[in-house]
Amino acid sequence: MSTPASKPLWKSILFRHETLLLLVLVLEWWFFYVYGTTTNRRGMVVGFGTLDRQFDILRHSCEIGLLALALTPIILTAGIDLSVGSLLGLCAVVFGYLAHDSGFPVPVAAALTLLLGAAAGGVNAGLITTLRLPPLIVTLGTYSLFRGLAEALTRGSVTYTDFSAGFLFLGQERWAGLPVQAWVFFGVAAGIWLLVHRSMAGRSFRVVGFAPEGARFAGLSVGRHVALVYVLAGLVAAIAALIYTARLGQAKADAGTGYELFAITAVVLGGTSIFGGRGSVTGTLLGVAAIAVLKNGLATLPVVIRMNAAEEMAGLLTGVLLILALAGSKLSGLLLSAWKRLMVSARQTASSCA
Amino acid sequence: MKRYFRELSVLGVLGLLLALLAWRAPDFYQPQPLLSLLTREAPSLVVACGMALVIMTRQIDISVGSQFSVCSVVAGVLAAKGVPLYGVLPLAVALGSVLGAMNGVLVAGLGLPSIVVTLATMVALRQALNLVRQGEFVNLPDGLQWLGQNQSVGQMILLGFALLVLVCLAWALRNLAAGRHVYAVGSDAESARLAGIRPQRVTFRAFLLLGALTGLAAVMNIVQSPQVQPLSGMGLELKVIAAAVVGGVAISGGRGTLWGVLAGLLLLACVSPAMIHLRIEAYWEKAIQGGIILLAVVAEGFRNRRSTLF
Repeated sequence: MSTPASKPLWKSILFRHETLLLLVLVLEWWFFYVYGTTTNRRGMVVGFGTLDRQFDILRHSCEIGLLALALTPIILTAGIDLSVGSLLGLCAVVFGYLAHDSGFPVPVAAALTLLLGAAAGGVNAGLITTLRLPPLIVTLGTYSLFRGLAEALTRGSVTYTDFSAGFLFLGQERWAGLPVQAWVFFGVAAGIWLLVHRSMAGRSFRVVGFAPEGARFAGLSVGRHVALVYVLAGLVAAIAALIYTARLGQAKADAGTGYELFAITAVVLGGTSIFGGRGSVTGTLLGVAAIAVLKNGLATLPVVIRMNAAEEMAGLLTGVLLILALAGSKLSGLLLSAWKRLMVSARQTASSCA
Repeated sequence: MKRYFRELSVLGVLGLLLALLAWRAPDFYQPQPLLSLLTREAPSLVVACGMALVIMTRQIDISVGSQFSVCSVVAGVLAAKGVPLYGVLPLAVALGSVLGAMNGVLVAGLGLPSIVVTLATMVALRQALNLVRQGEFVNLPDGLQWLGQNQSVGQMILLGFALLVLVCLAWALRNLAAGRHVYAVGSDAESARLAGIRPQRVTFRAFLLLGALTGLAAVMNIVQSPQVQPLSGMGLELKVIAAAVVGGVAISGGRGTLWGVLAGLLLLACVSPAMIHLRIEAYWEKAIQGGIILLAVVAEGFRNRRSTLF
């Protein structure tokens, strides 16, 4: 996006963060395809290389993917939301309570849950914009608050199950060849892509992320744009909660614990600057895919299966990957600017000699 | 008076809570349970002091819980292998320092955002521990518990240790050049640099110190029970950050005192026993703690409404 027009097209496409990430993703997929696919005793192909496994990856990555999509505009405005995972848990148990215990019809319960998500996002937005508090600490507070409310509501132990088949369709069936939740995910992705890349508001998010004071002097209502991204995140977290509940067929207070980490990792891996102002939805989608393939692919490697350590390996590698992605972008930036300085000084010496 | 308004208001709230308990639930004030409560919080106080320093330099470290678990398990394994306490303690502190230095290099050296770096190290350390230990408990030898003393003497020693750390750090922050540098870097790193301070070095040292204190706290924690639970540090980061924020350490850096942190930690620590004595269901604990953090932040927000950038 920010490449100057003077660069040739092939260069600006090749050296983009997204292109490199796509390359990594393809290599990663190929690696698991080769080493994670085996045939079992009856001669059937099992493991990574089956279509079912690919659908599984898609199905398992929808919730974290939705949270990552919701976080992209927030991080573009140089904010952060640590509470999305907890909000997913709160929305899941509230939906379970409404649909199961209170006997609301599923569509009404779902609508109320979405409303709750937006309202919870509104709490974050209100504290951040009207009182001008740092998003990090506000959402750290609501991270604890939302999870605590979920635990208080279920008294730490109640699990809501027995949802109607019509609702479970959302999380467990296929429609037009793909898992149903994948359609929802792609719909939300398209919506957020349009918002971020094809609207005035999206441009404003970056401006706010780059220079909030400057944005204000340019006549943007900074508060309103910031509030919008947090309310949107709450809404999307509620959608993720519905999908989560439908996929597992149960709603518990610990739903979505730790999801915020994977979501933030996906966004940062996707090339969005944590300092705001720079990034893309496409990058986030690639980041989500890279993490999802890693997580599910590891579980198909015979070595990892023998060690029974898929989840630990995935967490460890995700953490390391995140640090490498951050350090890599920083180091390459430093090297590039050092190289440019060298070239400039070389040119100056050359011209002074002449 | 006005300068320490935040600290005094936290003390006021703590006093109110204690008065409420004295009125409604005098059982709370039995000496032995109260002493146990304070001893349980002693390791958290040590970590909270280090965390306050890191927050004062305008950074944050959410990996302390994982560092704590790693140090606890390693210290436990060493003790179980027969290493005596005076060997375990420095080794745990050294390990904590290494983990803290790792964060410090990434944050101060490379200039990466501390929240994301420590988010990554939090998960990486936690999962590495799970990978190696598979959640196994460590049984400690007999001589280790309560530092080899009887329980009440051991509790007194631990409390004394925590208070010593608090007093030394509070004194250093106020009176030593190194302490003033922490405030200077947190208020405005660029001005501090122009004044001849090296902000990156100060930040690195804050992370290093936090790691070392976390190692110390891990040992102070394992001597309190016959086993080491690998999950013992879960959620510690939230607790100590909350204590610091409630106690008036500004998340935007450059402001706060360790006495405020002590008051904040005591307030948060009293919530859960107070809930038991006041017959509120324990499931509300997390929500109430989140509410207290938000209240503290909101109070902060009203105070400097105009000064913060947006």
